[in-house]
Amino acid sequence: MSDAARKNQVTTRDVRLAFARFGPPALILAALLLAWELAVRMLGIAAWLLPAPSAIAARFFRTQDLGYHTGLTLLEAGLGFAISAVLGIALAAGIANSRFLERGIFPYVIVSNAVPIIAIVPLLNIWLGFGIATKVVIAAIITFFPIVTNTTRGLKAADERILDLMHSINATRRQIFFKVQLPSALPFVFAGFKIAASLALVGAVVGEFYGADRGLGYLVITAATQLRTDLLFVAIFVLAAIGILTFTLFGWLERRALRGADAVDRRR
Amino acid sequence: MGVAFEARGRVVQAISDVSLDIVDGEFVALLGPTGCGKSTLLRVVSDLQPPSNGTVMVRGATAADARRRNDFGFVFQEAALMPWRTAQDNVRLPLEVVDFPAADREARCVELLRRVGMEQFRHAYPNELSGGMKQRVAIVRALSWNPSILLMDEPFSALDELTKNQLQDDLLDIWSREKKTILFVTHNISEAVYLADRVVVMSAHPGRIKAVIDVQLPRPRIADMRETLEFVAQMRAVREALLT
Repeated sequence: MSDAARKNQVTTRDVRLAFARFGPPALILAALLLAWELAVRMLGIAAWLLPAPSAIAARFFRTQDLGYHTGLTLLEAGLGFAISAVLGIALAAGIANSRFLERGIFPYVIVSNAVPIIAIVPLLNIWLGFGIATKVVIAAIITFFPIVTNTTRGLKAADERILDLMHSINATRRQIFFKVQLPSALPFVFAGFKIAASLALVGAVVGEFYGADRGLGYLVITAATQLRTDLLFVAIFVLAAIGILTFTLFGWLERRALRGADAVDRRR
Repeated sequence: MGVAFEARGRVVQAISDVSLDIVDGEFVALLGPTGCGKSTLLRVVSDLQPPSNGTVMVRGATAADARRRNDFGFVFQEAALMPWRTAQDNVRLPLEVVDFPAADREARCVELLRRVGMEQFRHAYPNELSGGMKQRVAIVRALSWNPSILLMDEPFSALDELTKNQLQDDLLDIWSREKKTILFVTHNISEAVYLADRVVVMSAHPGRIKAVIDVQLPRPRIADMRETLEFVAQMRAVREALLT
């Protein structure tokens, strides 16, 4: 057997490790679902009040346009996130390198976070209508703050001595930004992305609460007003699953981008 | 030459009336207590910070011009490597900034790392290297584009005794072969005497030059010299200058 083949072989040790990690939460989840199912059946709880897990699962498989609603919400959140990431990192670069921008703009970035996004949604509806654009903008606004603040902090955390070294060999601002500041900001950028990813989803769903006719937020609102509680649970579970997946994805991206680097060595 | 800072409305004189001539290819140690402005002096020499009065001339030009023609290689107390770059890529950083042919960069890095016995670690990340290995990488990073002057700010003070002595010998070896001018900041008397042609003794608040002592020890310096009477006598002379 070659080394590569041996490497790919799943050993009993791997299985044991996987079980040690995923076994306990899986067992707890199974126990909770079982207790829920039994409670609903034995106490005769009405389906509009609390549907059994089996009923929710059945509804999940019978909701044909679930993929469409999910895709739309993901698109809105993703677009908003992407716009915010590009603009946010650009602004953070400006703030980290210019006293004027730091003093002139940073206070407003912080104030912008103090305005409840929900209060702005009707205004955006007046301006942009009830289509996808409004939701994208909401997702962009709500993710802007964590991306700008984290990236700014990261850009400023660059090692002073390496900056001195770059200055001592007459490096340009551009070289300093791309070779030193941006790479050393990456852990902070990813921390901001992780927060922003879940917020983008919140933004898209909140946008869909107000006069939308599609998307997971729309599904939540209509299911609730029609007391289709099983459908409501389906939408909630899908949203939870998206949240977990994006968090895992960004965690993985973060580890990939930071090979070699660890938190301890950063300050040395 | 002098340097003053304004801190909380008060002007603090960091360095006062410092005047020093350094010959090409000379190894000069700056020795003094914490707060005597040794590191500030390096920053002023390399134009990272302007003097508040006086001038700095480097090889026939102003400090700013010398910086623009990449005369200065910096080595810091801790290696200050980029954790996301391998040893080799850390050495390559200055080559990407100064005007160095792209095709020759890799070969240059490999050759430099081999010279300090780090060739087999060239793909290692800094967190996989020991303190001494990191400092070796930092030293060849400062040599990579062949600057004429090395500015070293307590480069060995965080290392254990054995590693420190080894690196001191490595540095002397590099210095004698490459004919660099070295300005070496330290607070270790034995280190200053062992390495330098001249020891510049400084005092603090404000930083002044108290004495300049010529080290009367033959070259090449070898580890056994540390136990000779001449070495001890040199150390005593420096210590007396430091204390008076």
